[in-house]
Amino acid sequence: MIKLLLRKCLQGFMMILIVSAVTFALLGFAGGDALTQLRDNPQISAETIEHLRSVYGLDQPLPIRYFRWLSGAVTGDLGESTYFRVPVSGLVWTRSVSTFLLGTAAFAIALTLAVPLSLIGIRYKSRAIAAFIDLVILVTASTPRIVLALVALAISVRFTFSAVDRSSVILFWLAALALSAPLISAFLAQFHGDLQRTMREDFIKLARAKGLSEKAVILRHAVRPALNPVLTLAGLSLGGVLGGSVIVESVLGRPGLGTLMVSAVRARDLPLVMGIVLFTSTAVWLGNALGELLQAVNDKRIRDLGF
Amino acid sequence: MSELLFIDSFKKRRTDRVAVFGWLVLGLFALSAVFAGFLAPYDPSAQSRSEPSAPATRIHFSGLTPIIHPRRVEDPLRRTYTEDTSVAFPVGLFVRGYSYKLLAIAETDVHLFGVRSTSGSAPRINLLGTDQLGRDRFSRLLYAVRFSLIIALIGLLVACLVGISIGGVSGYAGRLVDTFLMGATDAMLALPTLILILGVRAAFPLELPMTRAALLLLLIFGLTGWAEMARLTRGLVLSFQKREFVVAAVALGVSQTRVLFRHILPNILPSLRTRAFLLLPTFLLAEVALSYLGVGVQEPEPSLGNMLTAASDLDQLRSQPFSVLSPALAVLLFTLGVRLIGRSERAY
Repeated sequence: MIKLLLRKCLQGFMMILIVSAVTFALLGFAGGDALTQLRDNPQISAETIEHLRSVYGLDQPLPIRYFRWLSGAVTGDLGESTYFRVPVSGLVWTRSVSTFLLGTAAFAIALTLAVPLSLIGIRYKSRAIAAFIDLVILVTASTPRIVLALVALAISVRFTFSAVDRSSVILFWLAALALSAPLISAFLAQFHGDLQRTMREDFIKLARAKGLSEKAVILRHAVRPALNPVLTLAGLSLGGVLGGSVIVESVLGRPGLGTLMVSAVRARDLPLVMGIVLFTSTAVWLGNALGELLQAVNDKRIRDLGF
Repeated sequence: MSELLFIDSFKKRRTDRVAVFGWLVLGLFALSAVFAGFLAPYDPSAQSRSEPSAPATRIHFSGLTPIIHPRRVEDPLRRTYTEDTSVAFPVGLFVRGYSYKLLAIAETDVHLFGVRSTSGSAPRINLLGTDQLGRDRFSRLLYAVRFSLIIALIGLLVACLVGISIGGVSGYAGRLVDTFLMGATDAMLALPTLILILGVRAAFPLELPMTRAALLLLLIFGLTGWAEMARLTRGLVLSFQKREFVVAAVALGVSQTRVLFRHILPNILPSLRTRAFLLLPTFLLAEVALSYLGVGVQEPEPSLGNMLTAASDLDQLRSQPFSVLSPALAVLLFTLGVRLIGRSERAY
């Protein structure tokens, strides 16, 4: 268990280090920062810009700048946003709350739809239910988030008749639903498929031979082994949810991490871009680790192997 | 070649109705992309300042001939229009309009349909209404499909080349290189791609000329979209390395590159092709997302993404949701078509 934790930590640390270094290098090599736009302003002299560059340390070579940024990041100091003029870390934290709520709601919707539907599909082996599950998978997998978010926007302007109330509860759940569509298809396909495979195993035959009811066979013997791949998948889909939140939040005008990223890119606010990349990749790693930890909780074999 | 163009798989699955529907949808997209100039009645960037944000033109019938009436702005703030029913213009096929290049070679000015007029100044027919600058949304949609599809296809190609090279090297090289490359691939798959794409995009100026913006999109796709292909290629290369005919070729002293290109690659190509095809919507959606957020393809060039920015005009979205969201519908149809084909490919 401790070995597993250590390994995950090391892996995540390496991944975050590489991602941040590559992004930093790309941003550095491509040239241009928040000060580039000042050059077009005739009221600002070249000396002032040079002075500002040395104040912000932008005249230093790239590796030194990265090292400075990294040593700051370790202590939680991600620098100051050049656009909002406030510390990046505070900005990212406050905005991430809204995205976190939206993402959690999306996961909740996907799980409450996918798990019971798969169980019903396994319990009652009817062709109609199987076809329905197939249809849900097809529809949710092939409807892009941006389309769903736009439809949600159209529905909300249709039925409120005044300016859209950005803080409305209905709009929040519509946004969460738009964000959850690919999750529904992924979870449903994985869990339903795994349950079907598990039901063909010998220990299921044994459980039936013991005289257990079909309900008990499924709930007590089939769910647990079929759950592991879903947990991995849930951890892995965190990245997609964070990426999708950029679209959903922008379309529906919700201030969150996604909209913050868009304004950072538009303002070429490089410290903020780096801060968000660092924050989201850390969040993704935490999600993956959490998924694997839950697997270890679910499956004693993984715990004992210490894999 | 026939294999590359899906002809074999099409023959085999002729009976699969769902896949046929998917092929029909994609065929429609291909046709509208190739013949955008012929199908579009107007120049996609031609503005008509007298009718901004107009709803779709109503088509009446006089006997069997479809006719339209010219319209006037009634209230410019509410953007309501009234039809002048005293004059009527017939809608006809193969009408002359603005000139364009058919199939990028033959210059012509014949369009599939348009408004005929004897006096020279005919009202415009807008099947999907107009945008804020009075441009015909239907014409823009056709050109947008062409532009977005081209970007998505070339982007996919670039990402595939990068992915197949990385996967091939990873499957063929030693353990150390393999561990490193696959670690990078796993990280790439788990990370929020859209945020990474935006991060890379932040390194470049916001306003770019059209060709450079398109090239930048392709570069970004190549940098961020290779992971799935890399992982698939690596797995396939590894599995084929153990097959007898490859072992035999190696034992005969065939060079490594020759084994890779002559013995392994032809065998794994069908699987790679199917996966690449299924990835096509991802790239289309990436273009849509970036252009929607204002950092991809920029006006006046129409793309499916930047046409959707019209949805932020809530009044228009409320009064004509179908017209405003028609690019979204096109995206939906395209992803659905690819899915349906992919489903039958996997079922066999």
